[in-house]
Amino acid sequence: MKKKLNLRKVSSAWLFVIPALIPLIVFWIYPIFKSIYISFTDWDYMSPTYNFVFFDNFKALFKDQRFYDALWNTIVFTLGTLLPTIVLGLLLALLLQKSFKGSGIIKFILFSPWITPTVAVSIVWTWIYDPGSGIANVILNFFGLPGLQWIKSSDTAMLSVIIVTVWKSLGYAMIFYLSALEKVPRELFEASGMDGAKSWQRFRDVTIPCISPTTFFLMIITMVNSLQAYDQIQILTQGGPSGSTRTLLYMYYQLGFEEFNMGQATAVAIVLILITVLLSVVQFTGSKKWVHY
Amino acid sequence: MKIKIGLEKVGKALLLFIFSVFTAFPFFWMVLSALKTKAEIMDVSKFFPAEFQWNNFYEVIFHSPLLKYVWNSLFVSVLTLAIQIVTAAMIAYAIVFMEFKGRKILFAIIMGTYMLPTAATYIPSYIILANLNLLNSFTGLILSNCVSIFGIFLLRQAFMQVPVGVIEAARIDGASQWKILWRVVCPMTKSSFITFGLMNFITCYNSYMWPSLITDSDEKMMVSQGLRKFFIEGGAYGTEWPLVMAGSTLIVLPLLILFAFTQKWFINGIGGDTGMKG
Repeated sequence: MKKKLNLRKVSSAWLFVIPALIPLIVFWIYPIFKSIYISFTDWDYMSPTYNFVFFDNFKALFKDQRFYDALWNTIVFTLGTLLPTIVLGLLLALLLQKSFKGSGIIKFILFSPWITPTVAVSIVWTWIYDPGSGIANVILNFFGLPGLQWIKSSDTAMLSVIIVTVWKSLGYAMIFYLSALEKVPRELFEASGMDGAKSWQRFRDVTIPCISPTTFFLMIITMVNSLQAYDQIQILTQGGPSGSTRTLLYMYYQLGFEEFNMGQATAVAIVLILITVLLSVVQFTGSKKWVHY
Repeated sequence: MKIKIGLEKVGKALLLFIFSVFTAFPFFWMVLSALKTKAEIMDVSKFFPAEFQWNNFYEVIFHSPLLKYVWNSLFVSVLTLAIQIVTAAMIAYAIVFMEFKGRKILFAIIMGTYMLPTAATYIPSYIILANLNLLNSFTGLILSNCVSIFGIFLLRQAFMQVPVGVIEAARIDGASQWKILWRVVCPMTKSSFITFGLMNFITCYNSYMWPSLITDSDEKMMVSQGLRKFFIEGGAYGTEWPLVMAGSTLIVLPLLILFAFTQKWFINGIGGDTGMKG
């Protein structure tokens, strides 16, 4: 009798798990392994047959200058979005910590880019960046600065994409910091005997450690998002000019869905996964030193 | 001393003002550009249009397929979200309140997938949908997106706050697990469900890369892809910037209005409930 009851319990638990587990396996877990498999072949999507080439795709990749450029662009893009998002997000949260008349509206404005479609706002930014008739150069000229070529030049294209990305994610970081700052216990300021201490010191010794879990969380999230950025790059630059904004993810897209070189494309995907795992491990181990729960 | 505090206040206000202008300006510029003529929009010396060209909006609403894309996006997002909520709530309930073999491993696997770049799964997922003959269909879009790992996390975090005693009591009363989930646990964690709903609705509605890979017919396009096509199509005879801007405005404004009414759920939800200690 008892065994029967247990069996029923078990089966009902799995009934609750299966509706999520099946799609998770079909569209997440299986594709990861399948990608690894494809990366060892020379499959071109069209032909039904393919050859096993083992590590040839990876070898070719590691000999390809395009790959190293994309890797470098990925690093620049990731750091270039991560640092401003975190620093400016915290700054804004500090400025908005005490509510005042109108602070609600400012929060609304600062967060609003996050909820709008990246494609739509990137199209608007394309127009803003237009070297001939865009407003960005009008503003630069107004301050006596020379106009830039923005997304039309390989020198400034990456900067332009980074600006749009930071513009979009700043409010998100701010919201996280706002609620983290709210939870910094007031007593800590008094307990640390720093009533008279400079506010900067208080900020460094009390606030920063208290909000370190949020900083850590935001670093991971922003990093993962930056490694996967596609929409704004596709609209603004399509990886150009001359590959200056081609990140690893964009290279993956071009190899897979433009050139149908599935073996090479999945090889890039595997490298991307490995980088994500590596960076997460580094951040998790490093975080033990500076994150205080 | 007083002067110093005053200066500090002015400095803070100024900084906030600059950031707000920087953030809001693209939206403002988008609406303003949508109301210009083609000649005005190309002329940088004309900041404001001489006359508001409401006709641009009329053009986009009645003579472009944009509204159809909006409808497609709404349809796909609402259905996707409904399934995501059910699947995530069930598995989160099982992980938190039920005993079964492999529970810990299951959660570890889900956690592992959370950080993986989604795009890495696209090629095999594409092949799967092609084999099922589901490319270019809403069913394919919805099926491939019917589990939200973020949602599972959010709900698990919320469910863990529910006292076990409440569940035990309901079980003694003879309620089934299904009933406990929707009649007891769900009302107690309502705010997480709302946050989940809003965040994932926005994400799905705005999504671009995956839908654009698996759809190419006009009939099935979602807003982002449709807008992009609309934007590119003009390219042949010079982009019709005022119309493109009017299209963008029509897509962006409803979302901003939705956000204005639901702001507190976003702000409390992502700041408070996403499971960060500290």
